[in-house]
Amino acid sequence: MSIYLELTRKFNHGRTRAILAGGQAVVLHRLAIMSKDGDWILREESESTEYVLSILEEYGARYRFGAPLDVRWLAGGWSSHLEFQRQGMRVRTDFVTRPPRLDEDSLQRVWRGAEGQDVPFLGAVELANMKKTNREKDYAVIGELARKMSDVDDQLLHSRSARDLIGLVEQYPDRARRLAEKRPVLAMIGQGREALEAALDAERRRLIRTNEERLGRYLDASRPWAAMWPSLSRQMEELTLSAAHRLMVCQAETGLPFLVPGGWP
Amino acid sequence: MTEFRDEFLSEEDLDLQNLTDEELEAVWTAWLYQAQITNDEDRYTYSHGVFTHEPVDEANPESGPLKDKLP
Repeated sequence: MSIYLELTRKFNHGRTRAILAGGQAVVLHRLAIMSKDGDWILREESESTEYVLSILEEYGARYRFGAPLDVRWLAGGWSSHLEFQRQGMRVRTDFVTRPPRLDEDSLQRVWRGAEGQDVPFLGAVELANMKKTNREKDYAVIGELARKMSDVDDQLLHSRSARDLIGLVEQYPDRARRLAEKRPVLAMIGQGREALEAALDAERRRLIRTNEERLGRYLDASRPWAAMWPSLSRQMEELTLSAAHRLMVCQAETGLPFLVPGGWP
Repeated sequence: MTEFRDEFLSEEDLDLQNLTDEELEAVWTAWLYQAQITNDEDRYTYSHGVFTHEPVDEANPESGPLKDKLP
């Protein structure tokens, strides 16, 4: 069984705590295999973070540089990163409770949809929003995800294809007009394919810059923590994961702020 | 005239849709093993979340990422 299916099932034993996101969710949408690391959206409750930590301890995981797996930091949009080796494979497990670009309403919908699923994984719309990163390759994934969206409005809001958008607008002109305020690119459709393609490129670059600025805010806020990390990391090496976690939390309380202004969503 | 479609992913990628669940898991796991060859390259970098690089260990700079690679 894929390690990511195995972990997701274990994290969700007894109740829904973790939703598989990112590249591994793209695999479950059967679009591409393009990431070797796993990331999950966790329920923002101490029971969830403690349970997941206990599972990872069974695998011999250790912390990488990041925030402690603790809701006080995760609620501020921080991410936690752990890693272990399993049968010759390096397995990275990354966690957030506040995924970027998903607001409270979207998150609540995501959790309602995940409830009771064998392997909860992020749906196409939310995954497309999370994929608006500073990596070019993610926009190719968004392009294909948009084609899997059942709702025409969602397709209009996420499609990366000028041809697809022109076709959609021919069929649903009123919807495109209504959504143009939310996605200004749609207002360019009447100006032809070339203008629309240029607008899509500009939109992608704008999204990339926006994400870089967001990451920059977290980078600035984590500088004191980064300075503390090498020494802390050495102290954590000989500890069990739960003991390392307690030490990390204690140190992070002075080195890593809970909130980053302008950080989430 | 041929009708073109904007392509984002390769035919090989999109062929995942034709696999059974068991075949998908086998291909997925094989891919993950193959991808281990880049572990050294991405040892200090992140693919998710708000962190991008592991910090430099000033006491032991050889053990961490090069400073000039930090953002």
